[in-house]
Amino acid sequence: MIDAIVIENLSKTYQVPEREGGFKAAVRGFFRRRYKDVHAVQRVNFRIESGEIVGFLGPNGAGKTTTLKMLSGLLHPTGGRARVLDFTPWDRKREFLQAITLVMGQRNRLSWDIPAADSFLLNQAIYRLPDAAYKATLKELDELLELGPIMRKPVRNLSLGERMKCELAAGLLHRPRVLFLDEPTIGLDITAQARIRTFLQEYNRRTGATILLTSHYMADVTALCERIIMIHEGKLKYDGGINELTHRIAPFKLICVTLQDGADCDLSPYGTLAPGENGCKTLLQVPAGEVAAVTARILADLPVHDLTIEDPPIEHVIERAFNE
Amino acid sequence: MLKLFTAFLKINIQMTLAYRAETLTHILLNLMWLGWELLSLSIIFGNTATLGGWGPGQLIALLGVFRLVNTLMAALIWPNTEKFNSSIRDGSWDYALLQPVNSLFLVSFSRMVIWRVWDLVLAAILTIVGLSMSGGGTTLLNLLGFLALAVSGMLIIYSLWIVLIALTFWFTKFDNNVTILQALLDAGRYPATVYPLWLRLIVTFVVPIAVATTVPLQALRGDLNGLQVLLYLVIGAASFFFASRIWKAGIRKYSGASS
Amino acid sequence: MLRIYQRLWQVNWAEQWQYRANLLMYLLYWLVSPIVYLAVWTTVANSQGSVKGFTANDFATYYMILLIVDQLNSEITIHLLAYKIQDGTLSGELLKPIHPILTNTLVNNLAFKALTLMAMLPVWEILFLLFRPDFSSVTPQSVLLAVPAIVLGFGINFLFGAAITCVAFWTTRVYALSEFYYALLILFAGQFVPLDLMPPAIQTIAQYLPFQLLRYFPIQLILGKLPPEVIALDFALGVFWLAVAVVIFRFVWRRGVKRFSAVGA
Repeated sequence: MIDAIVIENLSKTYQVPEREGGFKAAVRGFFRRRYKDVHAVQRVNFRIESGEIVGFLGPNGAGKTTTLKMLSGLLHPTGGRARVLDFTPWDRKREFLQAITLVMGQRNRLSWDIPAADSFLLNQAIYRLPDAAYKATLKELDELLELGPIMRKPVRNLSLGERMKCELAAGLLHRPRVLFLDEPTIGLDITAQARIRTFLQEYNRRTGATILLTSHYMADVTALCERIIMIHEGKLKYDGGINELTHRIAPFKLICVTLQDGADCDLSPYGTLAPGENGCKTLLQVPAGEVAAVTARILADLPVHDLTIEDPPIEHVIERAFNE
Repeated sequence: MLKLFTAFLKINIQMTLAYRAETLTHILLNLMWLGWELLSLSIIFGNTATLGGWGPGQLIALLGVFRLVNTLMAALIWPNTEKFNSSIRDGSWDYALLQPVNSLFLVSFSRMVIWRVWDLVLAAILTIVGLSMSGGGTTLLNLLGFLALAVSGMLIIYSLWIVLIALTFWFTKFDNNVTILQALLDAGRYPATVYPLWLRLIVTFVVPIAVATTVPLQALRGDLNGLQVLLYLVIGAASFFFASRIWKAGIRKYSGASS
Repeated sequence: MLRIYQRLWQVNWAEQWQYRANLLMYLLYWLVSPIVYLAVWTTVANSQGSVKGFTANDFATYYMILLIVDQLNSEITIHLLAYKIQDGTLSGELLKPIHPILTNTLVNNLAFKALTLMAMLPVWEILFLLFRPDFSSVTPQSVLLAVPAIVLGFGINFLFGAAITCVAFWTTRVYALSEFYYALLILFAGQFVPLDLMPPAIQTIAQYLPFQLLRYFPIQLILGKLPPEVIALDFALGVFWLAVAVVIFRFVWRRGVKRFSAVGA
């Protein structure tokens, strides 16, 4: 298996003019501007195998978008090396651009006034796709995303979810082998999010494309990625499986207990009480190794109506990982 | 490249077709302005036989060439500037850079105002009518010089435009990048030789609109010698060369390559 | 009421000041055509002594005064308001207990004018040095007399401009209408060619249309070139056209607002 993406010590430092408030400071700044270095990405290393789907996580301003822009060749790094499909991204070779795509959930590439189908035709020309290949890909994308009538309406008349489908299709017409997706589900409702997710999964299965995706919705990440890479303040925080992370950060499970009507017992002897959710009467936090024993004791001792065992929510895990 | 150009053309034709009534209004207004321009020429020549040595036919031809330049600006340059500026503002310029196409080609031709074709036809007719009115002394050599200089003059203006919008990469808040070009364009309507010296200098060197309008017609009138024609051609080629270098530097600046 | 205008002035002045860079560019745009025509006519006049009695100096004084009168009479209402009508944000202004056009829009126009004039004065000085017009025919009385003429002209232009902008309540093609109005203005106001040089038929029509009251009348008034009976006639015409403009504007505005609230934008 060949690595699709390799980065070594990748760094990006911006020089930002320092501005203080107030009139005097403004005058001073006019004559002698002071610059401040902002280290957006600092010596980050990782490699991603061909065909992997990797979640790229971090709070706002962590350096995710900067990294994605460097990997797609939009930005030159200030240090380090990157290879994507064995190209140096910022050389922006035609062959490289033909093989990747960057889809940003908050930016439009489609023309507002005309139907997406017409923008697709433009992309065919831009990426020099032969008619047959273009039609086959479009048919496949149409089938997977159910574009149908959507792509024949002017883009400005589409809902956010419909537009995102078209944006994705526009970004995939040239069958890129590496996909950089920056918040592809942002602002979409639950159903639309789920649709995009299934699509990405299916697309990855069919084409073996490598996907690096950022998202604020953990559901995206748990559904799609086995592996996550976390950065915080420009530095790599974690690189590995989701389960391992949960294991390391939150080595406990949640037992949700609903007692029979009328019964009112104190559960605190069995574990730590956690704020209840999902309509549970009581939520208990129990170390992972003791789940079986504790469950057995509760079932034996108390009039239990319902009992479920859950993993801690991934949002909490991630949040704790960043605060570590 | 040709295929891509056709694709842009198709998309823009579709956009035009979506706004049918607007197109018709534009054409009518345009005819009205042409009427006004011809009227002011007839007023001028109702009061004098020549304007700084230029006869009515030559001024009509100049008006034709001026309208040709003006139309190319209105059909391509202004709308593409608008698109470029807004894509820099909202960040979608990133997408343009990700496409495996020459970025200068992309920034110059992705928008076209199709109904202006009609205006191009009008401009061509005006030029031909003007030329045949002033006819007579024109030699084939002068005609060739005229055509070559018209092309090279437009290339110079195009180069200036490239430099102006490339400056946006260095000065991010530069929405007014082309206004000076837009403002001074009108000065191409009359022969630069009737202007006072300072205005002549501006329209020749600062915003070289006269290079695309007055100068080609001077070649046609036989006012220029071979060396001068050659010089203008060299300047045209050189300015395009430098402009595309500056554009490339701008792109490198945009992606932070210099730091 | 005066207090409202005072406050509006502060707000609008500050707002326009923010856009001063754009403003300079617009100014440049504005200046080019008159200067070009001045150059053209000066060349013609110099080559044959005079054009229909206009000497080179007559042209210079005409266009130099035109630059100022043009600024004083101009209006930009369509750029301030049409988009607000189209995207529905005008409703915010309709909620206020003052007439939006006769207060905010009017003051915004005036602030714009003040700022462009301020920026233009140095440019005008430079042009003065370059063309050296002889203003000896201008007297304090003629300038004083031009003040009401310019106010009248601005009133007419402002109200017509506002009425045209209000057409945006019905159609998006309001910019084309405005362009058409501007074309009429250029043709009949003496904008690029003093009316005296126009074909006689156009001159006769122009005399009775409102457009010459915006440019030709105040300019010639300042230059002291009009006999008293023409001055009286033009003032009377000005009052008449102002009344017409008021009636048209009120009619279009009322109908428009009614339609606006009916659509519920």
